[in-house]
Amino acid sequence: MYKLFTSIIGGDRSCIAFKLLRVMKITIILLTVLMVHVHASGLAQTITLKADNIPLKEVIVQLQNKTGYNFIFNSELLNSSKPITLNVSNAPIESVFKLCFNRNGLSFVINEDEGTIVLSKLITSKTGISAEIIRGTVVDEKGEGIPGVSVTVKGTKTVTITNNNGAFTINVPDRTVTLVLSIVGYQSKEVLASTDLSKIILKEADTRLDEVIVVGYGTQKRSDLTAPISSLSAKAIEERGLSRVDQALVGQLAGVNVKQTTGLPGKGFSIQVRGAGSISANTEPLYVIDGFPLGQSTTDVSGGFSGGNALDNINPDDIESIEVLKDAAAAAIYGSRASNGVVMITTKKGQVGKTKIQFSSSVGATNITRKVDVLNGDEWIDRATEMINAAYVAAYSSRGATAADNEAKRISIIGTRNVAYVLDPRWAMPGRPGLQVIDWQDEIFRTGLGQNHQVSASGGTNNVNYFVSVNNINQEGIVKATSSKIYSARANVEANINQKLKVGVNLSPSYSILQDPGVEGKDVIFHLALSMPPVQEDSVGVNANAFRNNAYNYSVALNSPVAKALNQIGQTKRFRTIASVYGIYTIAKGLTFKTSVNIDNSQSNISRYTPYTVTGLLSVRNAQTTVNTSGSYLTANYLSFVNENTLNYSKTFKGDHSLNLLLGQSYNSFSSDNSTMSSVGGYTHATIQTLNYAAGVRGNTNATKNLLLSYFTRAQYNYKGRYLFSASIRTDGSSRFGANNKYGLFPAGSIGWRINEESFMKPLTFISDLKLRATYGVTGNNSIGDFGSIPTTASYGYVLGTGQTAVIGQAPNRVANPDLRWEKSTTTGVGIDFGVLKNRITGSFDYYNRLTTDLLLNVSIPVVTGFQAYLSNAGSVRNKGLELELSSRNLIGKFKWTTNLQASYNANKVVSLANGQSQLLVPSVYTAVGNTVLRVGEPLNSIFVVKKIGHLTQQDIDNKVARYGVQSVGDAKYEDFDGNGIIDANDRQIVGHPNPDYTWGITNTFSYKGFDLRVLIQGQNGGSIFSLLGRGISQTGLAYIYNVSGDYRNRWRSPENPGDGVRGKAYSTYGNIVNTDWLYSSDYFRVRNITLGYDLKQIVKLKSISTARVFLSAENYFGSDKYYGGANPESANTDLSGNGNYPQSGDYGGLPLPKMLTFGLNVSF
Amino acid sequence: MKKIFPLIFLLSVLLSCKKELTIAPISIGTTETFYVTQEDFVQGSNAIYNALRTYPDRLINLSETRSDNLYAISVLGVQLYDPINAFRTDAVSNTYVNAAWNDNFNAIYRANVFLEQLEQKGSVVASATLRNRLQAEARFLRAFFYFDLVKYFGKVPVVTKPVTALESVEIKRSPVADVYKVIIDDLQYAIANLPTTYANTDIGRASKYAAESLLAMVYMARSGPTYNIEGPGLGLNEWSLALPLLNDVISSGQFALNTNYANIFSYTNQNPSVNKEAIFDVMYQTGLNPVLGASFISLPVPDAYFTSVLVKPAQLGGSGRPTSYDLYNSYENADARKSFNYVLYFTQLGIPGNRPFLKKYLDPTKVPAVITDWGINFIAIRYTDILMLKAECILKGASGSQTEVDNIVNQVRTRSGASTMSNVTISQLLAERRREFSGEGSRWFDLQRSGNLVSVMNDWITVNDDLKQIQPVVPNWIIYPVPQAQLDAKPGLYTQNPGY
Repeated sequence: MYKLFTSIIGGDRSCIAFKLLRVMKITIILLTVLMVHVHASGLAQTITLKADNIPLKEVIVQLQNKTGYNFIFNSELLNSSKPITLNVSNAPIESVFKLCFNRNGLSFVINEDEGTIVLSKLITSKTGISAEIIRGTVVDEKGEGIPGVSVTVKGTKTVTITNNNGAFTINVPDRTVTLVLSIVGYQSKEVLASTDLSKIILKEADTRLDEVIVVGYGTQKRSDLTAPISSLSAKAIEERGLSRVDQALVGQLAGVNVKQTTGLPGKGFSIQVRGAGSISANTEPLYVIDGFPLGQSTTDVSGGFSGGNALDNINPDDIESIEVLKDAAAAAIYGSRASNGVVMITTKKGQVGKTKIQFSSSVGATNITRKVDVLNGDEWIDRATEMINAAYVAAYSSRGATAADNEAKRISIIGTRNVAYVLDPRWAMPGRPGLQVIDWQDEIFRTGLGQNHQVSASGGTNNVNYFVSVNNINQEGIVKATSSKIYSARANVEANINQKLKVGVNLSPSYSILQDPGVEGKDVIFHLALSMPPVQEDSVGVNANAFRNNAYNYSVALNSPVAKALNQIGQTKRFRTIASVYGIYTIAKGLTFKTSVNIDNSQSNISRYTPYTVTGLLSVRNAQTTVNTSGSYLTANYLSFVNENTLNYSKTFKGDHSLNLLLGQSYNSFSSDNSTMSSVGGYTHATIQTLNYAAGVRGNTNATKNLLLSYFTRAQYNYKGRYLFSASIRTDGSSRFGANNKYGLFPAGSIGWRINEESFMKPLTFISDLKLRATYGVTGNNSIGDFGSIPTTASYGYVLGTGQTAVIGQAPNRVANPDLRWEKSTTTGVGIDFGVLKNRITGSFDYYNRLTTDLLLNVSIPVVTGFQAYLSNAGSVRNKGLELELSSRNLIGKFKWTTNLQASYNANKVVSLANGQSQLLVPSVYTAVGNTVLRVGEPLNSIFVVKKIGHLTQQDIDNKVARYGVQSVGDAKYEDFDGNGIIDANDRQIVGHPNPDYTWGITNTFSYKGFDLRVLIQGQNGGSIFSLLGRGISQTGLAYIYNVSGDYRNRWRSPENPGDGVRGKAYSTYGNIVNTDWLYSSDYFRVRNITLGYDLKQIVKLKSISTARVFLSAENYFGSDKYYGGANPESANTDLSGNGNYPQSGDYGGLPLPKMLTFGLNVSF
Repeated sequence: MKKIFPLIFLLSVLLSCKKELTIAPISIGTTETFYVTQEDFVQGSNAIYNALRTYPDRLINLSETRSDNLYAISVLGVQLYDPINAFRTDAVSNTYVNAAWNDNFNAIYRANVFLEQLEQKGSVVASATLRNRLQAEARFLRAFFYFDLVKYFGKVPVVTKPVTALESVEIKRSPVADVYKVIIDDLQYAIANLPTTYANTDIGRASKYAAESLLAMVYMARSGPTYNIEGPGLGLNEWSLALPLLNDVISSGQFALNTNYANIFSYTNQNPSVNKEAIFDVMYQTGLNPVLGASFISLPVPDAYFTSVLVKPAQLGGSGRPTSYDLYNSYENADARKSFNYVLYFTQLGIPGNRPFLKKYLDPTKVPAVITDWGINFIAIRYTDILMLKAECILKGASGSQTEVDNIVNQVRTRSGASTMSNVTISQLLAERRREFSGEGSRWFDLQRSGNLVSVMNDWITVNDDLKQIQPVVPNWIIYPVPQAQLDAKPGLYTQNPGY
């Protein structure tokens, strides 16, 4: 039902199919049925009324007020009515009604139970008089009344609709007529008025093909689509009680890879559509909400959305449907920003009819899905003992040291009690007096409670419809002190000013507060919890090296992650308003003009505060106190303004030719400014956190802006719904590009052939739907910085003069590129849609080949230019893929079972680089040599490291196998890839690629009686992770003052006891080189969601409640992955390259995914 | 009502047709708005000086660490400088090697842009004297950076004007002699046009004597042996070309030996207007925003020293780079330089006893709040060096007597309380230079020039490489490899130095 309204309300949107037009007509009739609601205490039987030449419409209002009855009628009925003049007192109402209506050619039916009076056209039967009033009830297969069914007397304009219980009353001339019953979502039915009408059963229709899909600047019936579009309806979101829209997309759509890159609440997911096509430019899709193209979400260098994500603060319960335009042919209408796909989000609208109040509420508990396996206390002591003994013997064997020496002997040999060589004697004592074993992960994690409450009201008349909602989401994170609170509201209102003009407003303000004291990333809370030794002084416990406590002698002097979590502040507050105002004017039949003005304004501020009590060393804390406290305050304002104007023409010629034309123009401006203030020289107060007590403050402000001007046109044509054609052209001008190349042209075309409509297919009855599609399209990518083409200068100061004072220096800071232009993706694709066995099984299969050329690439150039790289259009990347979507209604009886399966395969390859380069080594800030390569012929960002092939034996050493530095027996053995006898950076080889080859998701839905069960399983295969977190906790020879990954418990201990071959000996001194030690498979499968729901209407038969459902939902509860070097294979939280030219985000301390158990209730009145 | 909408449509189309797509950056300057006034040219000049700021770090990372001054093998994991210190061939993709190439060429680019703009729009600089001075300063600095490149890499591409990305992929490496030609040409212009002194506010800019000193060093570097590689030494024996330049600096009377070794590196005596040793400084100041302080101070210093001894935040040294025992032990105990330059602090696994690290520039009372914000200048050309270079020229055959040589060396030695010497040989002179300039980055170039680099290094490795990490040195390794990134930028444009 919602879908249909969307198509009508967005009047400019394309509706080319005649079938759809027919549906529209019905809907218009529905829409124009005026329903007026009066809450009367009682219904009058007599009436007093005076009227002197008053229009019938006003008389009805008076009658309504006086009688308490609601009048239901089609407003067209009153168009030719004559004014009423009458004067009655205490007259029976029926006689008054007769006076008013029959003379105007109207009949009426009084329905006492409902308190309604239905007006319809007076039918003159053969006898000349409208004869009979008949009643009936329309029910579904379960026997439940269906509200809103239109009941028409066949061959007449007499129509009524069913009430909330499915009941209707209608005037018929006699019992020989036929009634036509129709409503979206059910198969239409004709019944003879003479039959039993007390339970007319409507069967649920297979709505898939008639489903209306939102496409760019319009809608289309699914059967008319020529390009693959994946869609998701509100149901899948509402029934889970989700807190973010992007979460709903996980595992649902083929070719749409949604990555949960963080374990913190309230943060954005990363979405990649059909693989990665860019190196330097962003790969997140464009989001369009109710036709408003939002500013693009851009991942920052760390892989997060510090600049905000387009879906932040959007209330999932407001969403009606989500469509993803994957293919260039569909997305190209969004031209320059469409290369990474377009996610179209439609919010709910009010429906004509009685006000519907909906209340939903859920509470839940969040926990970690898993921990990272690190050594426990005993294992850590075991490794530390082994390492200290080995170091002691290595250093002092010349003085007779042996591993068996006790503390006193060691001290006498060394001359001092050096913890590098002397064991803690308490380790060997029973009960380890004075020491405490701490599982740091247990200490920082908790069960987070969450709540999600929403109230919405929607409804409408034929002139106005509305949807308003308020929502509050309050989610505690899995780490202490982390949380997300969102308050949001929405008002979607649309009004018909007159028959030709419609105006609407969508307004959605929201406010959010995120608390994150700095949990994910290198050397922050979660990473610390993995690296801190599990053995600490009993007197200090979890407050090791915080406040007035020292660090344990045998522990690295890191500050307690628990103290950090509880005392550091990182608070982001954001106020965001998305507002759209639009008008739709019907110029002539089929020709509409739409204009819209849209604003997305977000204002955020971030406060950070780190007290000295949780930083540095005890001696420093004691000596300097608040000098080491630091704080900052940042503000960021963002404004996106979009004005779009479109002309839409649709017409069906001779019933067979259906044409839809679109002409449009768009103006987008995006501007932002920010300010930063940070403390200098610490604070002067120990408890005040605001910067007024900072010893000094440093600050600056920044602003930027960009503009996009676009013109576009599209033609969609089909012949008999059988041969489908679509073509579009868009041209975009962006201020981001070089003076010589501001504009880009993005053409697209697609064709479809519905084979099953052909007569030769008729005998093949088991095929209910078959369509072939072919697409071609060019899309662009402009997500680079705002002034990438302009030769800018930067400040390079110096110190001069006898006073050693600063002087200003300025010089160009990059190579200008006036030719900078769009990154361009050309996609060709073919696909097939099919349905068999009366559409019991439906599906689609797609192949695509996307060649991205003119990559916005920071091309490395000889530094004689002054710079290492400049932003240019060079190189190309190809993505090829297959997508399968399959939907099967396995069981359709009382016990229903539906399976939806989606799977996709994507492979990408660097086709060329700039200047004939065959490879580009991506630098890394965290390893001495890089670990990623862009090499022609290989996947994007291939992992390029030395391969570990085992552990060195004495025989290897005797045979002089290649070694890295001073390696000895039990150390890692590496493959000498270049064969020169030494292991070094030149022995790196490609060992994997980061993007998965296969991603898939299966949703099974079961329902029986009032119960429904939904299970979503999702996963990926074929990718690899080169994990710096893995390196952080498992690099060779990592000192015992840190804790290490659990696989060290089965390490190499001696030639006789070589362990399981994964980790070499504990005491290694040769350091490390990037190697396959920290390479992990990113394969995983995860039961993303299990929802069990029960329809309370089964037991609560209250009339006032139209729906009531309780549910229990388990998110992320089960699963398995192979990422032993971290907690979440999709984590992204750290800038690995440290080089904006080749942004590469990865995991250096990412949290495990939260799992959540939610209990919820949805009720509507 | 009906007429309004088409009107709005028309209006909006018209509005958006404006040339709005050209937006000037709001918070960033552009070259269009720069090089317009005299002040712009002064700022442009300052920006070239700014490029000097990475020079001292480079000396620590590529000269000190490579040489026998530091035994920087870390036992606590592999460090970025390991390939430098251990002569590993993966230095081709080493961060510090990259930085040496990149920073110098970026500096040269700034000089080239400046010189081109000065030629085109220099008339806005009213005074011809100032115009010539600015030009001479830029050329001095360009020569400075090219000389730095030659010493590290040998052949480099030569550009004397800004080049576009397209042009750059056609410019090959020039023979070392051609690079020197540009350097000498620039320096001769600088000597002719730079003032001998500056006004108070301009102290720190390059003077005529800085240019003379640098040119003398260039001649001396060219005089060194070739080792049969295309390195900085051309075997030209131009010691007598260097000597008069050095003499001119010495006889200017503007400079003198400090009476106290420690005082040369004092935070309070550092400004070139009062520090008589400072012929050319890289200038730093602490506490400014943006930061204009120095970072080279803490590079050899272990973090633990700051955190546990000085009770200050950790700096940039990580696990630290110990000074070689043999250098430390080569000082007489009475030599003030020994206690001033080093602290015995390290304990390294596998090596008994404490190892010294360099604390020459480290004043414990001046540890900055921001780790890269030390407030001490780096003396790039020091008067003591000029004197000792003169002694070297004489020993290599330029005119002068052994007495002059002995006098110079003994002035230096007695200043810090070391005993006097007589009949100082070239190897004694080099050993004295090693002690005097420890941590100042001259050691590797001294060895290059001496002709004995390979044997000195290999002898040192044999005795001092406790951890058996350092590869035996071959002549090819006198210069560094061309960074792999440069070879990759345009395959085939540059050929790699032999041995890498």
